[in-house]
Amino acid sequence: MSDATHNGAAVQADGLVKHYAGKDVIEAVRGVDLRVEGGEVFGFLGPNGAGKSTTVKMLTTLLSITSGTAFVAGVDVARDPDEARRRMGVALQEAGLDPRQTGRELLVLQGRLFGMSPSEALTRAGELLALVELEDSADRRIKGYSGGMKRRLDLASALVHEPEVLFLDEPTTGLDPASRLTVWDELRRINNRGTTIFLTTQYLEEADQLCDRIAIIDGGLIVREGTPARLKAELRERRGLASDPTLDDVFLDATGRTRVAGDVQEVSA
Amino acid sequence: MTPAWVLGQRALREAWRTPEALLPTLFIPLFFLVVNVGQAARIFPSKSTAFLHGQGYGAFQLPSSLLLAASFGSAALFLVEDIEGGYFDKLRATPIPRTAIVLGRLIAESVKGVLLATALVLLGLVFGITVASGVLGFVLLVCLAALWAVVFSGFMQLIALKTRSAAATNSAGLIFFPLLFLTPNFVPRNLLTRPMEIAATFNPVTYVMEALRSLILEDLVWSKILYGFGVAAVLGVVMLVLSVRLIRNYD
Repeated sequence: MSDATHNGAAVQADGLVKHYAGKDVIEAVRGVDLRVEGGEVFGFLGPNGAGKSTTVKMLTTLLSITSGTAFVAGVDVARDPDEARRRMGVALQEAGLDPRQTGRELLVLQGRLFGMSPSEALTRAGELLALVELEDSADRRIKGYSGGMKRRLDLASALVHEPEVLFLDEPTTGLDPASRLTVWDELRRINNRGTTIFLTTQYLEEADQLCDRIAIIDGGLIVREGTPARLKAELRERRGLASDPTLDDVFLDATGRTRVAGDVQEVSA
Repeated sequence: MTPAWVLGQRALREAWRTPEALLPTLFIPLFFLVVNVGQAARIFPSKSTAFLHGQGYGAFQLPSSLLLAASFGSAALFLVEDIEGGYFDKLRATPIPRTAIVLGRLIAESVKGVLLATALVLLGLVFGITVASGVLGFVLLVCLAALWAVVFSGFMQLIALKTRSAAATNSAGLIFFPLLFLTPNFVPRNLLTRPMEIAATFNPVTYVMEALRSLILEDLVWSKILYGFGVAAVLGVVMLVLSVRLIRNYD
């Protein structure tokens, strides 16, 4: 069920809201509007508990939407979740892998679940193992993989069906610097092939290095959106700074936190 | 059916690669069989005990062990691992029917159930137990034990999906033990005390046990066999419907 009104947008969310019912209703996301163009690398930043993962889970059909609409690759994720799933790849926090399978088995299974024949899935698994440089470990069980290898395999599994949009929730959290750089290289390669990337991260340097545009969410609402350069320039102009601020400064300014003697503290308005 | 079968194959690989979870499902029922027979066989000599139909007390006890073997529910603990480790979300992000995620594990449970029941019955044959209902009875015996494995696994999956907790799922598994003992476990129903007889009559496990027992001790007694299969089938459908409903609304 493709919607022509979302022409060109790889991801579009309008008034996205998520409430968790309970003793007290928790408003995790309070009205997010987003538009990510095809081919972009889009960074979605925010402090812990700001609503990043909740938003990603709604966009990827893993969480119901309280109100608002979300389209991925032109497909309404609430009305036609299976079609949306065919068009997106998902790699969530803490690489979701089955430790008892081998890397190759995991990719073949993923291919089969996306409708490939056994031989197609095997061929595709081979291609992806080459892409993420895991051919040598392909037939070892995943429980013996390092954190970096697991991340790369998770990325590969999200790419099995050649999705138009790839969602990555904190793809480098917990990785050592060398593994992080390897994942960045993979992401650039994937993006160069035309895949739109929507990633959340807590590492502002990562967003600065990889993302064409970013949005910062805080308290369930988008508080800044734009290219890293434009956001820095805007802060420099508004604060009358002598030099360009860093993306850290933009983030701290946007989320009402300030840096004091190396610590981050909240600012009470 | 393909996604469910593909996931079933994965669950079988998982079981095969975790022998420490699989082996107790064979050895613990065997242990109970040996202990129960050792404790009660002299009370019920085969020559003078009518309900044994000429066989030893081991033949009377074998259904309890078959039901116990079919009621470990380790598949649900693997499901909790999937949920906690994030692989469950990975599966939910694929365009497969939600039922396939539930059915995949149940298919694997049925295969495991057939293999375990076959192994237990064959061991029983080695120790002198005979299946009085013949080859067809043997097949029905194994199928009913496997069907019960699917039912119990469905119940455990339901708990796993609802609680998403290994501890809660494990505790729920213990529900089976009272149900197993509220049956004509040691003697036929008509020899139980009145309160126990009433409890056993309301316990669905009783009918599965009586069907299994009739297949071992008697010829094909269709009234008992159909009761056993009917109870297991109804419970199986209930578990499946509830699990599918839960997974469809899973947030």
